[in-house]
Amino acid sequence: MRILLVEDEIKVGSALSEGLEAQGYEITWAQTGEDGFFHASSNSYDLLLLDIMLPGRDGLEILNALRKQGLKAPVLLLTAKDAIEDRVLGLDMGADDYLVKPFAFAELSARIRALLRRNKPEPTDVLLIASLEIDPVRRTVSREGRRLDLTAREFELLEYLARNHGRVVSRQMLARDVWQETGRATPLDNVIDVHVARLRRKMDEPFEQKLLHTVRGVGFTLSEDDA
Amino acid sequence: MSSLRRANLRTRLTLLYASLLAVGLLLYAVGVSAFFLRNLREELDSSLHRDVETVEGALLAAPDGTLQISSREGEAEEGELEHGYFLEVWSQQGSLIYHSAQLRNQVLGLPPGKGAGFSRQDPHSIRLPSGMRLRTISRLHHMAVGNPVVVRLAVSEEPLWREFWEMVTVLGFGLPLTVIAVALTGYLVAARALKPVDAMAQHAAQITAEQLNERLQIENPNDELGQLGVAFNATLARLERSFDQLRKFTADASHELRTPLTAIQSVGEVSLQMHGDVRYYRNTIGSMLEETNRLAALVDNLLTMARADAGRMQLQRAQVNLLDLATETVKFLEVLAEERHQAIRIDGTGELTVAADRTVLRQALVNVVHNAVKYSPDGGEVRVRIRETESDAIVEVQDNGPGIPMEHRDRIFERFYRVDKSRTRAAGGAGLGLSIAAWAVSMHGGRIEVVCEPGPGSTFRIRLPKILPAVAPAGYSNS
Repeated sequence: MRILLVEDEIKVGSALSEGLEAQGYEITWAQTGEDGFFHASSNSYDLLLLDIMLPGRDGLEILNALRKQGLKAPVLLLTAKDAIEDRVLGLDMGADDYLVKPFAFAELSARIRALLRRNKPEPTDVLLIASLEIDPVRRTVSREGRRLDLTAREFELLEYLARNHGRVVSRQMLARDVWQETGRATPLDNVIDVHVARLRRKMDEPFEQKLLHTVRGVGFTLSEDDA
Repeated sequence: MSSLRRANLRTRLTLLYASLLAVGLLLYAVGVSAFFLRNLREELDSSLHRDVETVEGALLAAPDGTLQISSREGEAEEGELEHGYFLEVWSQQGSLIYHSAQLRNQVLGLPPGKGAGFSRQDPHSIRLPSGMRLRTISRLHHMAVGNPVVVRLAVSEEPLWREFWEMVTVLGFGLPLTVIAVALTGYLVAARALKPVDAMAQHAAQITAEQLNERLQIENPNDELGQLGVAFNATLARLERSFDQLRKFTADASHELRTPLTAIQSVGEVSLQMHGDVRYYRNTIGSMLEETNRLAALVDNLLTMARADAGRMQLQRAQVNLLDLATETVKFLEVLAEERHQAIRIDGTGELTVAADRTVLRQALVNVVHNAVKYSPDGGEVRVRIRETESDAIVEVQDNGPGIPMEHRDRIFERFYRVDKSRTRAAGGAGLGLSIAAWAVSMHGGRIEVVCEPGPGSTFRIRLPKILPAVAPAGYSNS
C-alpha cells in the first residue's frame, strides 16, 4: 500500500513515516505543497495524508487542484485548526476524513485502515482471540466455553478492541467510535476507564491468561502477548 | 463644506449660530426699512394734502384772466416753494397757466387730458429730468370765476430718501457688528462649555491598558457631558474587568500548561540519565504521553472557550425533553457513581421541554452531575430534580458532599478555579468543568445558581427560560 504524506514539520513527518513504514506501508514524504502536488499528479497512491497548514500552497488548495485533475485516492486531512469551518471546507473540497492535531498515532493508523478498506463491510464472522470467542451477530461472548454476561456497552467496547486486535486503541478512538462523542471536554475518559475496568473484571480476571492490557499513556490493547 | 466638517465643533457651532443670526437680522432690517419708508411716505402724503388745500385757497384769478397767488399768503407760499415745493396750474385744456420758477422748463407730468379732467389724483412719485425725485399730488380746482383748473403740487422726496438711507446705513453697519460680537461671544461661551470635553479627551488619552483604574472627573453627572463621562467610566470599568480576567486567565492557563510540560521535561531528563530496561523506558514514555494527553485536552478546552468568547458558537436549537436529557446524562455517568457505591436518582416531570442545543446543554448537565459525583462521598447520593416555575425550567443537581464554603460560592464558575487548592489535577480536573457549564447555560439565556443550605451538601440549580430570549448573548464572560 503506497501512501503519500505531505507534511512540512520535520519531526512530525519523520515520526509518521517511520511509524507507518513499521506497519508495512510504503511512504513517500513530501515536505512542501508543490512537492506533494508533483508527486500526487505523477505517481499513483492508495492514500494521501495531507497537512492543511503548509508553507506556500496550503493543503486545501492542493486537494482542490488534485481532485480537479481526477484524483480518486482517499485523502485524510491533518489539521491543527480545530474549527468547524475548516472541517466542512476540507470535506467539501473532497477530503474523506480529517484528524485534528495533536492526534494519537494509533488513531491515525486506525483511520488509514478504515479509509483503505472502505466500502468493504465489517466481517460478521465470529472473532477468536486465544480462548475468547465473540459473535458479532448474536452479540454473545464466551471464554473457554463459558458464556460471559456483558452489558451492551461492554460488548461494543470488546468488539471494537477485538476488531483492532493486536493494536493499541486510544481513549479518543473509543470515545469517537464506541461512545460517538466528539470533543475531549467531558469526563468521558473516566467513564471509559471504568468500563474497561469492568470489562476486564468479567473477561480477564477469572482466567489465567490476561488479554486486555493497558498501554500507559496511549490506551488499551487486546492481545495474547503481554504489552 | 469638507473644510467646515474638518473644523472643530466649537467653530462649527459658532459659524452656524452666527449665520442664522445674520439671516434673521437681515430679514428684520429689510422689514423695518420697508415699514419705515412707508411711514415716511404717508407722512409726506398727508402734508401734501394739507398743503395743496392751502395753495388752492391762495389761488386768485386776475381780472385779465391770468392766475395769481394771493399776495400775503402767496408770498409766504412763494417762500415755502423755494424750499422744495413746486406748483403747476394747468387749464383743463392742457395749457400751462402757472408754474414755479424753480421748475424752469420742466413739468410735473403730462398735461391733463382734454375734457377728461386729469389722470391721477392720488399722490405718486415721479422723477424730474434733472434727476430730482418728487412726490406729487393733483387737484381739480374750481375757481370762483372762470373754468376749473388743475392744480399740481409737488414736494421733493430727497429729504425722505436721505432719512431712509441714513437709517439703512445705521442698520448696515450695526448688523455685521452685532453678528461679529455675538459670534465672538458665542465662540468664547462654547469654548467654556466644551472645556470639560477637552479635559476629558486629554484624560482619556492618558489612560492605557496599564492604568485602567483611572476614571474621568465628572463635575455634573446630570448634564450631557456628565452622562458621557459616566458612560465612559462604565466602559472603562468593564474594560478593566475584562483585562483583569484576561490577565488572570492567561496566568492560570500558563500555569495549567506549564505543569504537564514540567512533568514531561523532568520525566524525560531523569530517564535519560538512568540505565533502565525496556520496561522502564516504556513506563517513562507512557508517563510522558499521559501528560501530553492532558495538554491536548486542556488545549481543546481552551479552544472551546476561546470560540465561545468570540461569540462564534451557533446554537442548533430544537425541543429538548429535560427528563430525557437528564436520564441520558445520568446513564452516561452512572458507572462513575457505581464505582463509588453512589446512587443517582432522577425525579420530575417528563413533559418539560426547552428549545435548546442538545449537545451544548448536555455538556452543561454532564459537567454539573460529574461535579456532584466527584464531590459526594463514597456511598453517597446524587439527586437530579426537574421542575418548572412560571417562567423557567429548572434542573437541580444535589449532592451530599461537604458543601461549598461561602467565600468560594461566587467564584466556582470562574475558569481554573478550584475550591480545594491542594486537590490534584487527577482528582479535580483543570477547574474548567463548571465554567464551561455556566457558559453553556448562559448561551441558552439561563444561569446556574449554587444553593447551599446549612449542613453538608450543595445544590446546583440550572435555570432555563421557557421562552426563547430574543437575542442570545453574543459572548460569555465570567462576570
